[in-house]
Amino acid sequence: MPLADLLIGGILLGGVYALMACGLNLIFGVMRVINFAHGDILAIAALSTVSIAVGLKMPFWVAIVAVPIGCAALGALIQVVILRRIEDGPMIMSLLATYALSTILVNIAILIWGGGYSGLPGVLSGSLRVLGVNVSLSRLVSFACAIGISLAVWWVLEFTRFGRAVRSVSAAPELASISGIAIDRVRLATFALGTGMAGFAGVLVAPAFALDPQLGSRFIIKAFAVIIVGGMGSYPGAILAALLLGVVEVVGSYFVGAVIGSAFLFLLMLAVLLVRPRGLLGAGVRV
Amino acid sequence: MKGINPLAVAIVAGIAAIAVPLVGSDYAVSFSIQLLIFLVLAYSWNWIGGYTGYTHFGQVGFFGIGAYVGSLLNFHWGVPWYLAAIAAALAGAATAVPLGGAMLRLKGPFFAIGMFGLARVLEAFALGFDSITGGGTGIYLKPISDLKPIYYVVATVAMIMLLLTWKLDNSRLGLKLLAIREDENAAESLGIPTTRLKVGTFIASAVAPAAMGSLYAAYLGFIDPPTAFAPNMELTTIAMVLLGGMGTVLGPLVGALVLSIVNEVLWANYPQVYLACVGVIVLLAVLFMPRGIVSLGMKSGWLGIGRPSFRRLAADSGRAPS
Repeated sequence: MPLADLLIGGILLGGVYALMACGLNLIFGVMRVINFAHGDILAIAALSTVSIAVGLKMPFWVAIVAVPIGCAALGALIQVVILRRIEDGPMIMSLLATYALSTILVNIAILIWGGGYSGLPGVLSGSLRVLGVNVSLSRLVSFACAIGISLAVWWVLEFTRFGRAVRSVSAAPELASISGIAIDRVRLATFALGTGMAGFAGVLVAPAFALDPQLGSRFIIKAFAVIIVGGMGSYPGAILAALLLGVVEVVGSYFVGAVIGSAFLFLLMLAVLLVRPRGLLGAGVRV
Repeated sequence: MKGINPLAVAIVAGIAAIAVPLVGSDYAVSFSIQLLIFLVLAYSWNWIGGYTGYTHFGQVGFFGIGAYVGSLLNFHWGVPWYLAAIAAALAGAATAVPLGGAMLRLKGPFFAIGMFGLARVLEAFALGFDSITGGGTGIYLKPISDLKPIYYVVATVAMIMLLLTWKLDNSRLGLKLLAIREDENAAESLGIPTTRLKVGTFIASAVAPAAMGSLYAAYLGFIDPPTAFAPNMELTTIAMVLLGGMGTVLGPLVGALVLSIVNEVLWANYPQVYLACVGVIVLLAVLFMPRGIVSLGMKSGWLGIGRPSFRRLAADSGRAPS
């Protein structure tokens, strides 16, 4: 396999990581909550997509619209029922809560979809030639959508009134509150947006990966790696790091096998944690 | 001292522990071994998570290291399980020394994510180096016909953990750890050697889980990566400490007893929703009882009021510093 293949494969993989990690990063920035259930929302979204497309025989675009909205609603529910009560408390409580939530979601997914693998064959199959490399259409489309959504959310954060509110709550909650920003509403909207992004990422991985209820734990750790390497709370850092880690994973897997190859990511993450905890572009979040 | 004395509890628990194999069935012994293993894990987690306040999602990593070190020694060289467990404990400590120095430079969520990732790395290695570890197929050990010796060893370790925690709770060291939990910068400024204490606690809390991993593998007669590094083991341990009361002497004991019995009932009747139920228990504890069952005892005067005031554990303590 030539280098170009590996590079393109890695970058395409990184697109989905970017979308997922950006949602996680957004939530962390605004609420100071590490959402351990983020990956499981992605897994549930992916499995729902299969159910909609294969089980209900509806077109794929129905899933693209419905699933992220459903995930955002689920996120809003989680925020109102659970996180709102503890997000200002000590961090250990929100860590434990989302960790517990993650196992609950996995278990529910196993109850609904069973423990086995499922997939979405026939959607966006076929391949294209890009720069002399055969690229599967589903990966190309998911990359384009993922990066598109990530950049769109970035634009919202940078240039809209809502985005400014989000950034000010993230930087200084007390000052934002004094300035008349409804912190609770911003946090609710942000959490729903973040989980909606995870849901969208789930829809996008559905045609390209083998799906099972444990999918979430494999993705969350990669998303953690991405936001740590990129810098916690840094949006462009997350996108950059996602592409970088996608390449590292694909190249690593090619040379030393998939299992140890994915361990490379974690080792890179641990190395960054130790050498430069603020990440590539992070501003250094105080905790 | 007003209320229940932990020493008295230890004595009662000790008598109960000796009595179980004498009067109980094989099932009772088998159940008690699992309970006691979780008890030891819970006490270890309590040191780093409850007293020092570092959310540790990687303890199962040490459990797994111990399980593999013990199993491989037993499998390849026929080392008896009790010596294998000692070797596993040493291996756990040996891994924790460099790891502690490195990982405890991280705080809060960074530490949690780092340790969570580390446990997954170890699992990936156990799967990947299948020429040594047997990979996904696992290792089958010679089955042990009589579980009572394992039971007594685990019970002794659990008793030692209880007594050590009691000593810790009544010592300057315990106060220093609580100070780190409450406000690490303030503790540092008062001259508490926070880094040394954190690393020391981290290493101490890794030894017993590694030994338990080895004993658990001997007890099962089998080990594979998903068993050795099971995330639900981690969740159950943390749930026990949280439910009983973090940073207390009796919390892990109460939590482990309650949750083991609940687990056994759930596992027997509703195995398919067992994990979700543990998750719900943790959630409810976080939301409505962050100080655990023991705090109810303190409020009602059954227990002496513990020194830990749980400021940082209470969810209603005002806004977190940003």
